Amino acid sequence: MKAKSENSSTGTQLIDRVYWLTRLRWVAILGVVATILTVPRFFGIPLAISPLFRVAALLAIYNGLFAWLIPFLQSRQMYRAIKALANLQIFLDLTCLALLVHFSGGVENPFYFYFIFHIIIAGILLSRRETFILASYAVLIFLGIIVGEQQGLLRHYGVLGTSAAFLHESSMYVLGVSFVFSSTLYIAAYLTTSISNRLQERERSLTRANEMLAEKDRIKSEYVLRVTHDLKEDLAAIHTCIEPVQKGFTGSLNEEQTNLLSRAKVRSKQLIVYVDALLEITKLKLTEKVEMHSFSVADLIREISDSIEPLAHHEHKGFEVLMDLKVTTMKGVRVYIQEALLNILKNSIKYTPEGGRITLEVQNDASLLQIKVTDTGIGIPAEDLPKIFTEFYRAKNAKALYKKGTGLGLSIAKKIVEMHQGKIGIESRPGEGTCVRLEIPLAL
Amino acid sequence: MAKILIIDDDADIVEAMRLVLEKRGHKVDMAVDGNEGLAKARAGKPDAIILDVMMPGLDGFEVARELKGDSRTRDIAILMLTAIKDKMGFDFQKETTDPNWLPVDDYCNKPLDYELLLEKIDHILRHKKR
Repeated sequence: MKAKSENSSTGTQLIDRVYWLTRLRWVAILGVVATILTVPRFFGIPLAISPLFRVAALLAIYNGLFAWLIPFLQSRQMYRAIKALANLQIFLDLTCLALLVHFSGGVENPFYFYFIFHIIIAGILLSRRETFILASYAVLIFLGIIVGEQQGLLRHYGVLGTSAAFLHESSMYVLGVSFVFSSTLYIAAYLTTSISNRLQERERSLTRANEMLAEKDRIKSEYVLRVTHDLKEDLAAIHTCIEPVQKGFTGSLNEEQTNLLSRAKVRSKQLIVYVDALLEITKLKLTEKVEMHSFSVADLIREISDSIEPLAHHEHKGFEVLMDLKVTTMKGVRVYIQEALLNILKNSIKYTPEGGRITLEVQNDASLLQIKVTDTGIGIPAEDLPKIFTEFYRAKNAKALYKKGTGLGLSIAKKIVEMHQGKIGIESRPGEGTCVRLEIPLAL
Repeated sequence: MAKILIIDDDADIVEAMRLVLEKRGHKVDMAVDGNEGLAKARAGKPDAIILDVMMPGLDGFEVARELKGDSRTRDIAILMLTAIKDKMGFDFQKETTDPNWLPVDDYCNKPLDYELLLEKIDHILRHKKR
């Protein structure tokens, strides 16, 4: 499992770089064409235009072919073929560069330095062995050309005129260039692959560390889930045993007895609410995949409005729903979206003084559901705002107003929105109110 | 006054409900799991059953389907106790409207609200007599 994920991550890396190489090659082709067109005119250097253009055309043809082939191989996850293709591309690049150098002066043409780039690219993309094989191939063809031209076996396309007419014939010069060229390429191959290997090693160890952390987090969440579940069972039983006594179902109580039992009941209820929220967020964290179904947004909003309206009314706070839907349905987990909105709205009610207002605005276009919950509540101090979605975090003024609170409501809402590939944001002015914005793709 | 069978694996919750229901004048029998519950329902013919969903072995869903599918026990009213949103993440209220999906007469959420529980028990018993 681990090896597989590692493979596919290096696979995507390779693909990214192969794409990059293809883009880079278009730039190189443009550079070649521009050079062929400008050099004879502006520098008075006679170039063998037609063979050079043919090489440029060859470059363009195979680059176009690769640009078409790579997505095809990628869609079939044929990473081995893509790796082979990367080898082939660099091989063809080296061949084309050799031909370009040959048709534009051979050893007279300082562009042979460009061979180094190809070896660096190979060192980044491929293994050390493959890089050395390609470096050897580059040495072989370049030396073949300059020695061939020196020996008169290949035609020499002179570009420097009389000033360097015999340079390509000087065996000392050709020997010197050959030595420096070969050693430069091999050293470049060695250095690049060393650095590249070390980086890859580090990346692998980071990936492993990340996987280990994710696994540890999962184990921790499962532990929390088990513990909270057990806690809840006992709490529910405690609550269930206190309530009938406190309410007098088992016989009448005196005032003191009722008083103490009421306190016990309130505290057990608070713990149940807390444990419920903890269960909820832990379950959301452990959920990797959910099944999304189509449902009516309008119905959901009406249902939410029906349950929030009495709460707001009971606490003498205004509640208003503004709905403007272009599309009536969306795809998602209905109960989760409902829970997210209820959490936000209940927060608004809780932290809005009597006589205040809570507004729920819902609108969408063809692709996005936008929800805005605005209240005229106590607001959130600026320094608390960045941490307000953090689990268990509660703003200072909220704690001052109500000592108890789970600090999980908004974290749960955020997890749910993210599960739907949506975004959640919050703006607030202390003393004036808060506005929570949700954007969820309709995913239809 | 009616005969009520409580099927729940949590002895403390059963005891609390028993006390409340007996104070109301009902005659209460108890079972700690699905199989015992089914046997007692068939033998004792209670008027109503309070049935917990989550139980080891035969769970509340299976017990309800078994009882409602049997002509001898079909008429027993069932009140289901749920903390179901915890486990499955669906909205219980919606699903209960479909008798094919879950053949119970009513449901109550845990932790219990006794006023609601008694009201619902009275309601399903009245409904049954008609």
